[in-house]
Amino acid sequence: MESGLKHLSNALATPNQLSNSSSSIDGVPPELETSIRCAGAQLTQAAGVLLGLSQDIIAQAIVLFTRFWLGADGGSLRIYAAKDVSASALYLAAKLSFQPTSPRSVINVYTFLLSPDASPLWFVNPRGAPDEPPAPETYILTEGGYQSARSTLLRIESVILRALGFDTHVALPHAIALTYLQTLGATKPSVSRRVIQHLNTALLSPQLLYVTHQPNALAVAAIYLAAREQGVKLVDTEWWEVFDVDREELGFLVVGMQSTEGFMRAEKGRWENKTIPLVVDTVEAEIEKGRMLGEGE
Amino acid sequence: MSASKSRWADDDPETEAIIAQQKREKEEKRRAKAEKQRQLEESRKAQAAAKHNDATPNPSGDKEPPMKRRRLSNEPMDAEVGQDQEKVKKETTLLRFPVRGWETCRHVDNFERLNHIEEGSYGWVSRAKDITTGEIVALKKLKLESSPDGFPVTGLREIQTLLEARHSNVVYLREVVMGNKMDDVFLVMDFFEHDLKTLLDEMREPFLPSEIKTLLQQVMGGLEFLHSQWIMHRDLKTSNLLMNNRGEIKIADFGMARYYGDPPPKLTQLVVTLWYRSPELLLGAEKYGPEIDIWSIGCIFGEMLTKEPLLQGKNEVDQVTKIFALTGPPNSTIWPGFRSLPNAKSLKIPSSSTSASSNPPLLPRSKFPFLTNAGLGLISDLLALNPASRPTARECLSHPYFREDPRPKPKEMFPTFPSKAGMEKRRRHHTPEAPKRGQEAPELDFASAFGCAPGEDSGVAGAGFTLRLG
Repeated sequence: MESGLKHLSNALATPNQLSNSSSSIDGVPPELETSIRCAGAQLTQAAGVLLGLSQDIIAQAIVLFTRFWLGADGGSLRIYAAKDVSASALYLAAKLSFQPTSPRSVINVYTFLLSPDASPLWFVNPRGAPDEPPAPETYILTEGGYQSARSTLLRIESVILRALGFDTHVALPHAIALTYLQTLGATKPSVSRRVIQHLNTALLSPQLLYVTHQPNALAVAAIYLAAREQGVKLVDTEWWEVFDVDREELGFLVVGMQSTEGFMRAEKGRWENKTIPLVVDTVEAEIEKGRMLGEGE
Repeated sequence: MSASKSRWADDDPETEAIIAQQKREKEEKRRAKAEKQRQLEESRKAQAAAKHNDATPNPSGDKEPPMKRRRLSNEPMDAEVGQDQEKVKKETTLLRFPVRGWETCRHVDNFERLNHIEEGSYGWVSRAKDITTGEIVALKKLKLESSPDGFPVTGLREIQTLLEARHSNVVYLREVVMGNKMDDVFLVMDFFEHDLKTLLDEMREPFLPSEIKTLLQQVMGGLEFLHSQWIMHRDLKTSNLLMNNRGEIKIADFGMARYYGDPPPKLTQLVVTLWYRSPELLLGAEKYGPEIDIWSIGCIFGEMLTKEPLLQGKNEVDQVTKIFALTGPPNSTIWPGFRSLPNAKSLKIPSSSTSASSNPPLLPRSKFPFLTNAGLGLISDLLALNPASRPTARECLSHPYFREDPRPKPKEMFPTFPSKAGMEKRRRHHTPEAPKRGQEAPELDFASAFGCAPGEDSGVAGAGFTLRLG
């Protein structure tokens, strides 16, 4: 029976992996690590959308990306560029799906999204997407640039696989949540939509909800939250227990999911008019800057 | 885990029936108790009610002195029901998912390589010893060169499916280890002394019927599990079935395996080693399902019975010829719609006048003289031309063949055999290799399917139809 549940459950991070990331051992401040991890997740989401990948592939890629940085054996931001890990995780997740994509498409999209002139991402291009399209050379790679980006993409793919012990399985809560909604008889489209929104937002959570909780719990929390927000009354009993979630876990997840929005606002404020470092050099510069400020005080 | 069954744990009907029965009993007990409580309540109405404020659930149930169960409520029925509900709630045990984490790959130097076993189409296998534990394992190096798209998806799928397919009849992948270079990837698996192919080659006499039954049952069990997990193996053959000296057999080599869906997605037809490839694949079906594995099992069953591969085609056309020689040609009754398959257009089949008595028709008795009627029925079902007529793995497991005498031989009673893999290099097999990924699906011309090499193929004459040439 245990193995029958495998496709509904995930490998979770151990407490040790959560408290000892490779980056923290290498002296990357925890807030910076959180900011970069969250920016990397957003980058992955944006790239997935531009590549026309379905959301389950994108979500799986974000989970693989998140797992990669955890634990002393995981990747360090002083060794691996968050943008590269994002691209390779997305490429890998797509490869394993029914919707594979080519290295060239992935690299083209990432070049555009990481262009300081053309990118619509606030943490890459704080001025926002330009009204007039900028010069093509600002977001199109040369052939030489492509070749080197391609070899990086494939190398980091192997690095991710090694770090994860080749366990690429990611079970997602989205489909589970829809089944639960049907079971609960809550068929209002606005609730379902809100559930999916919460589940996608939770991918960016600084509490790393997807690597600390099983998909059934995420699904239940999203339903609880969405039903309350939409004023839809669910059954009177403690229905979450039917889906094997206890009150404590539900409470934690509801708070976690609700707080993600505030966290994102705070991030935007903290990095206002600045870019979040997504490569090793800029991470080093940011750490150095922090150190100088610390000494100056 | 029986205490923690949840709504989605898939139970067999029997367990479900038991659970339903338990539920009914519980419900009845509760009703009886409520009634009893109501009567007690009424008889003691005069007594002081405020003595006990009892809301705690009571595990000892009816035997408890009624005094303790008094309450303040004016509505004893409701209160009682409420209390019972609470009790039921306290009894629920939430299902806990198996705790699983991930670990970074270890280095291959943790293993000492002992001897080479064989080279398959997807990698080299050697026998090795875990230096820390001393355990003997099989170490399979994945072939990774010439992959312009990074880590080959076949290798990824093999690892992914093996990691998820934990079953006693599926080879156990312990971990993945890496060498110094990024493309040195090794699968660490339980070591098995034999593969079925080599064993059949080496044996003087075929397996006994009871032994075949045990083996087939195990393979079916493994396959039933894979299909229940939506995994198609796509390369079942005797050389991919591993055996040990304790009568256990496991499905191995997931290089072709992949997840499928319902309705089936469009997939490559270049799967399954030719001799074990089903007719719909040979006829170019773009959509196919787990039935292709069932066909392969039929071929394996036949091979276990006769010690010889059942359908040894020299190429795709010859394979189709051999299949039809065994099963009889397809017609629109036994296989509706086969005409619309891409490669069936060139197929010229005489309209067979003999209408089969059963669907799918029984295979010729002469081919398997020592098989019981139930056994012949099973293999005829497995090798049904129409994929929709083939039974599922689950259906096969409940086939009368497995229940009639001789019964499956207990695994402990199995004979042992000298292990080729254990000590010495194996001789090369003559089974053709699984198709290579990335090859173009051949456009096959089956016009000659019944016309080639007359006289050489006695099957053509025996199949009971004549050729219409041109």
